[in-house]
Amino acid sequence: METGFLQEQKTLEGDLNSETSHQSSVDYLMNWFRKRSIFVLAYGTGCGAIEMPPTFTSRYDAERLGIRGAATPRQADVIIVSGYCSYKTLRRIIRTYEQMSNPKYVLALGSCTVNGGMYWDSYNTIKKLEDYMPVDMYVNGCMPRPESILEGFIELQKEIGAGKASSWQKYEENYEFYRKNQEAVLGKTVEPSYEADWYLYDGGL
Amino acid sequence: MLHAIKNQFATDEIIVKRHDLYKVNVVRERVFELITFIGNNYDYKVLNAITCTDWIEDGHFALTYIITTIDRKNTFMVQTMINRDEAHINTLSKEFAQAEIFERDLAEMYGIDFVGNENLKELSLENWVHTPPLRREFDTLEFVNNNLTFREGRDDNLDVKVEMKRIRAEKKAAKAAAKKLADEAKAKTEELPDGK
Repeated sequence: METGFLQEQKTLEGDLNSETSHQSSVDYLMNWFRKRSIFVLAYGTGCGAIEMPPTFTSRYDAERLGIRGAATPRQADVIIVSGYCSYKTLRRIIRTYEQMSNPKYVLALGSCTVNGGMYWDSYNTIKKLEDYMPVDMYVNGCMPRPESILEGFIELQKEIGAGKASSWQKYEENYEFYRKNQEAVLGKTVEPSYEADWYLYDGGL
Repeated sequence: MLHAIKNQFATDEIIVKRHDLYKVNVVRERVFELITFIGNNYDYKVLNAITCTDWIEDGHFALTYIITTIDRKNTFMVQTMINRDEAHINTLSKEFAQAEIFERDLAEMYGIDFVGNENLKELSLENWVHTPPLRREFDTLEFVNNNLTFREGRDDNLDVKVEMKRIRAEKKAAKAAAKKLADEAKAKTEELPDGK
């Protein structure tokens, strides 16, 4: 009988191999690879970002489950929307999300992404993230502890392993719906302008 | 210093809030004259902040320039009232470069026009077309209800506090019942030898 962290590791990984019988061998293998190497975009919005460093460093050590950081959107599999999204942030999140390559997953942290949380009556904060971009997994709490984040990741890994997590396909299929909602709060120009020298000609910050 | 300012500029008494914190009210036209005056004569040369208070009942904004000495030991608050409906005042950014971003913030949040500031574009709100949000006639809740969708509550729609109380009471009752049962069983086993 294992004890301590070995026991914990076993508990966490216990269900990872269930519910795969409907897949072909290739799909099974691909999903197994995907769920075991999740690269998380190093990007934090709102206060929830403060819980991510302990999750990824030695205390909670997400890398034992195959979860680690990625430097750029092109290399990342998962984007964590960690906390409230003001309109200005949402614009950047959407742009970052659209830059990521498939397959890509969204993990939403905190009450604010679920229902607005303490910003429920704020004029520049959205209340429901799934109206504007697809969400694979919500982790509630204000703020969620690293344990909760890890649990959310495990659930996400299960879904990936079972081939169920397919939010990027949902985004492509229902793009008009998402675009309409995005334009309702952000105006017609959803993306920030793509000029590289915005900080020079614009009068600075 | 206070006498000189009072005689030359002030519209009413200078308020000494603390031994190092003064506040004076002046008319709009003389704000910059006063700021230059205390800067040149009494070393008040650092602009800390420009703040605005919305007195909607009286129909004006109270615009406060907070200025400290170079050694940061004394603070002067120069306050002026401007009309809410046609809110405009000259810019201070020629004298203090950092005033530009304060004014940009106030222009965005209150809709005040700072004449002469050429960089009054959006700061933290993007594509904002409604009333400036910190003006008090802006109804936040109404805006949120009109423009954003809320998640519907749970189907059962129960009050969390009531439910927590109920669950706690249930747990307590279950615990008490279990204890009673255990006591009875214990009593029974103790009785048996006596019965023989």
